[in-house]
Amino acid sequence: MADLNSISQSKTRSSESILATNKVLRSTYALLAMTLLFSAVMAVVSMYVGIPRGAAMICTFAGIGIMMFVLPKFENSSTGIGMVFLATGLLGLGIGPMIAAYLSYPNGPATVATAMAGTGGIFLALSGYVLTTKKDFSFMGGFLMVGLIVLFGAIIVSLFTAMPALNMAISAGMILLMSGFLLFDTSRIINGGETNYIRATVSLFINIFNIFTSLLHLLGVMGDD
Amino acid sequence: MDWMKIVWALLLGFFIWRMIPTASHWLKHGPKGSSKEWMTTAMLLGGVVLFVLLLMKSVAR
Repeated sequence: MADLNSISQSKTRSSESILATNKVLRSTYALLAMTLLFSAVMAVVSMYVGIPRGAAMICTFAGIGIMMFVLPKFENSSTGIGMVFLATGLLGLGIGPMIAAYLSYPNGPATVATAMAGTGGIFLALSGYVLTTKKDFSFMGGFLMVGLIVLFGAIIVSLFTAMPALNMAISAGMILLMSGFLLFDTSRIINGGETNYIRATVSLFINIFNIFTSLLHLLGVMGDD
Repeated sequence: MDWMKIVWALLLGFFIWRMIPTASHWLKHGPKGSSKEWMTTAMLLGGVVLFVLLLMKSVAR
């Protein structure tokens, strides 16, 4: 009888865990869709207003700063949702001048559209794979962290040297690394490693944002922009 | 604008400084993948590479 009770309790706990995971997943994708849309709207506003590059850079720094220092304090309250919108909106404002610059080139609109479609394709394919197979990619954690440190080091070098090949390699590396993070982050949500949907949304947003900007850079180079 | 480059470099340096303990923790205590799991990952990322190459070819002039 005790064994039957234990099996029943274990089943209840397991179904509760699945329900909780599904709730986190649904909330994450809903918030991610809204923040991506909001960020895109802010990017369009930034292009129409014609925000100067310096101001755009400050918006980007502010967005990153909010994500790093302010958001962790509010991630368990409803204020956190407002903070996510503020940070992603600022990143959208920050990216506006870059998109405007690409759009001003002859092949620009096609390049931007291709980068957007490509980012969507990568996100859907990788997320779809993890959601379907439910595989655990947490073993990639160390590899991804080390890869990111190496990539940041390379970006610092590229800031003070004029090496177009290095810039292309950084963009290609960033796409690969962020694709790896998409697998890692999505599998963490599915397998219960991430239970906070605000944190999960920010992680996925950063992955998508970096894939888009890096892909835009690579396609811009190929399109002679 | 040199000040922007300096601010970016400082910010990235700060990120690296913050990430080193996390990376070290993941490398020491994180789960280890089997060769099959790494092969699956390599195939998925290989697919991303092929897709990006295709996109680059489509916009190349």
